[in-house]
Amino acid sequence: MSDCGKNRRGILSLLLLAPFLLVVLVPFLWMVLGMFKTNREFFQPLAKAFFPASYDWQNVTELLEGRWVPFWAVFGNSLLVSVGQAFGAVALSAAAGYAFARFSFSGKWLLFVMALALILVPRQLFALPLFSWVNELGLSDSLLGVMLPGVVTGLGVIYFTQVFRQVPGEYLQAARICGATELRVFLIVLPLVWPALLGYGMIHFILAWHEHLIPMLVLTSETKQTLPLALAKLYDVSQRTPQGVQMAASTFAVIPTAVLFALCHRKFKSSLSDMLVH
Amino acid sequence: MAAADQRTPGARWAPFLFLLPFLFFLLLFWVIPLFGGVKMSLHANGLGQAEYVGLEHYQALAKDGRYFTALRNSFVYTLASIVVIVPLALWLAHLLRATFRRLRPVITFALLLPALTPPSVLAVLFLMVFHGKNGLLNQLFVMPLGLGPVSWLKDPDFILSGLVLQTVWRWTGFMTFFILAGMEGIPRVYYEAARLATGSRWQHFWHVTLPQLRPVLLFVAVYLVVDGFSLFSGAYVLLGGSGGTADAGLLTITYVFQKTRFFEYGTASAISISLLPLMLLLLWGCLFLRRRTA
Repeated sequence: MSDCGKNRRGILSLLLLAPFLLVVLVPFLWMVLGMFKTNREFFQPLAKAFFPASYDWQNVTELLEGRWVPFWAVFGNSLLVSVGQAFGAVALSAAAGYAFARFSFSGKWLLFVMALALILVPRQLFALPLFSWVNELGLSDSLLGVMLPGVVTGLGVIYFTQVFRQVPGEYLQAARICGATELRVFLIVLPLVWPALLGYGMIHFILAWHEHLIPMLVLTSETKQTLPLALAKLYDVSQRTPQGVQMAASTFAVIPTAVLFALCHRKFKSSLSDMLVH
Repeated sequence: MAAADQRTPGARWAPFLFLLPFLFFLLLFWVIPLFGGVKMSLHANGLGQAEYVGLEHYQALAKDGRYFTALRNSFVYTLASIVVIVPLALWLAHLLRATFRRLRPVITFALLLPALTPPSVLAVLFLMVFHGKNGLLNQLFVMPLGLGPVSWLKDPDFILSGLVLQTVWRWTGFMTFFILAGMEGIPRVYYEAARLATGSRWQHFWHVTLPQLRPVLLFVAVYLVVDGFSLFSGAYVLLGGSGGTADAGLLTITYVFQKTRFFEYGTASAISISLLPLMLLLLWGCLFLRRRTA
């Protein structure tokens, strides 16, 4: 195609994409600008007061100083739970996926179907028995009780099975000939698939960051809450939290996942592209 | 299936060594709670030691109109979100492929923002979008068309559409990302061969792109079904855990939550368990499609 035709197609596609971008971005813009608004400004019709009268950081400082919720503790909890869960999920699923992709053993098909079933049966539906079981294990009101149940993921196992199928068998053979143990062979292969490890870790971090129901059941004390719980508390009408503070908290809740994704989505996409064609 | 590298004597126990941590946690946090759920569904409602009641909860469900409303709503909600999201995401991915290479990552990222946002935050953004007369949707779209403002969260005719709109807004960008990744993975040779054989772009899309995207589309559909049946936060914050006016927005997960709140644990578990056959059917469908693809 000629350069001119390419440019024309590019501009046309931008024009067609623009309304979608607008629909996605306007609510976010409203949220970020909402940080600076007073309650009165906030409830005015949007056409009149989309932008705040002045950019006052008071709402943000109030939030960060912990006047409404112990913000930093809650933020730290969320970070800890999500990072821990992502690491655990990557480690478990990568090992399991490696076994599925690289070995034949009896019962493999059955186990693989079970992993698929894991994806399809939403954990949220079993939140209740899970909650009472977590209590019996003595993990109630502890961050571990939220973190550990989330490390089992069918999606991760299926994903890593696909990933490890693509590693050329010669690598593994070469390592074995050199006398490496099976565990060592696995550790040699791991760096070859690091974009996939990173990509899955990222997805799982996001899922864990969003989890609402299980933390709500397991965590009870105020300093042990995760961000979605603190947000729900801030949004609660009876708490009379200023709207600006609510918007500031919402903005801070989006930042970590957005930054993480911006940093590593290219690697993840190329690993997906490689995987999906096979 | 890829060749299994089973050469060394250690290889006999090695796969189980790799599977062990996963299986341990699977047993601990999935199999046991599942059986716990089955047990709970066979016992009377209430805390602590409840008496065994057999299939009573299931029989009660079979007569429970709200249960069927919730099931129907979840079905409609899930199906509608798939029907809207998949074509829209295909179209967006196509547009992204046509746009300037430099801008592509930025635009993809912007479209993905809703998927990166915690559902509870989304629900608040949506309260603003759906908010009575001053909401964005009414101000920007409905009233300019000369129609009266729709009360999205109160009018039973619109609650479910509102929930669907929310999922569409949330997931379309995410699915576009996966479809785009899939499209970029299709070898160019296929298109060159197609160009020699036939002319139109539409035919290329229909005969080359779509079949190649089958694994991605399967993933997208499964993801949306699971999300449709397990979505909690969104409907919870938008409708406050209620089903909305006349239960028009009552989803199965909301119903489970309501039962839980009133300590009707047996009933809540029975609802969850009753969805299992459905999920297993879906699993069978996936395996069937996988085999056909392979």
